[in-house]
Amino acid sequence: MGKQGAAKVQPGEQGAGLTTATADDMGIGKLGLDGPPKREKIMVGMLEEVGANGYDPTSVRTILARTGLYRQAFYDHFTDKDACFKRAFEAGVAHLEAIAIEAAATEEDWRGKLRAGLGAVLDFLDAEPEIGRALIVEVHAAGAEPLRRRAETMKKITEFIDLARRELGGESPPGIAPEGILAGIHAIVHSRLATGENDGFRELLPEFMYFAVLPYFGAVAAREEMSAAQAEVGRAQA
Amino acid sequence: MGSPGPNPRVTERSEGLPRAYVVRSQRERLLEATIRVTAAKGYDATSVGDVIEFAGVSEETFYEFFGSREECFLEAYDAVMDVLVAHVESAFEACVAEPWPQRIVAGVRALVELLAAEADIARMAMVEVTAAGDAARERYRAALARFRPFLEEGRTYSSQGEELPADTARFAIGGATSMIFDEIRAGRGPELPRLLPDLVFAVLMPYLGAEAAEDEMRRLVREG
Repeated sequence: MGKQGAAKVQPGEQGAGLTTATADDMGIGKLGLDGPPKREKIMVGMLEEVGANGYDPTSVRTILARTGLYRQAFYDHFTDKDACFKRAFEAGVAHLEAIAIEAAATEEDWRGKLRAGLGAVLDFLDAEPEIGRALIVEVHAAGAEPLRRRAETMKKITEFIDLARRELGGESPPGIAPEGILAGIHAIVHSRLATGENDGFRELLPEFMYFAVLPYFGAVAAREEMSAAQAEVGRAQA
Repeated sequence: MGSPGPNPRVTERSEGLPRAYVVRSQRERLLEATIRVTAAKGYDATSVGDVIEFAGVSEETFYEFFGSREECFLEAYDAVMDVLVAHVESAFEACVAEPWPQRIVAGVRALVELLAAEADIARMAMVEVTAAGDAARERYRAALARFRPFLEEGRTYSSQGEELPADTARFAIGGATSMIFDEIRAGRGPELPRLLPDLVFAVLMPYLGAEAAEDEMRRLVREG
């Protein structure tokens, strides 16, 4: 899959629930939510606004302008901007977790699962960089709850990364290894989103796999993994 | 350091001092006040009023120097990062004859010791900057990039050399700074030196692999 929005999340495909064919361009389906379509549309609008303009300049008014909905539609579902962002953030993070888990489920071993899960997240970022920026960069602007939620997700990912230990015979890296891997990958993604380098996330997969494989399986395995992932990116672009 | 509020030391009368000195010290007082108040209250809650009260200068004077709260923050941030980078650089350069991993250890040690001793600087440099808008985040990114040359020397030391991924320094710096961010944010800034072995592992691992990085880590733990 290349960066031509191959992973643009289609309703009913990667998300649960919504199956209406017209949903995608309305912002519905992007978070794979069940429930009232307008509610999801507002949440998507919220994340896109925050991702495009930052948290502070975003208001109920700008969200309405983006979504083309009336005030009442917003207040039917949310009490205010903060509450809406918290719900939207939660839904966005849960959606990212879900697409990673679903992609990983198709693979057998640790490396395959990591490659697929990470790849699915990177594809999402290529398709929806504004939502990505809201979830990954603007998280600091909205108080403690999103940060707590993020810490929860990071912990889950760390635990998954560390499952590599089970495939090791003897030597195994110190306990800090998975945290370091995730923090490093996160920093690169964060830096790109923050500076508006909005494409080419999928092309980062080979080096991310290198960094993840290196501490557990050594330099030779890491280089092999990187070359294999590079070849895959090349094929997808061809 | 401590809580914001009028600072008796800097509100002394300044009559009789040369004008250039007063101007410089007013500017510096505003920058320092920004660091202190932002660290104590958070960027969002910090107003120009808080800063001028702490610095003991008038609002008019503030706007002679700075166009906005953000401009003052950014300048204070640059000043703080200059101090941090210079401190790490001098530790790194002081042991130029040592192998690269030891020089990295020296640099990281200098960084965590300074951050642990200067709680306000730590909070400003690593935490508040991430909440202070796009321009601040851009400065943060640029500031972290200033540590990159120290790391990139690892390419010539590492057996992987040229085959290392392009983003290796970014990965290493990102891993270490995110651990530091979490500690400071959790109020454990003063205990940062305890994290030194983990940080050294995070920085060396992408260049040297886990075993060699762990050797350095173990050495540090043994040395206490």
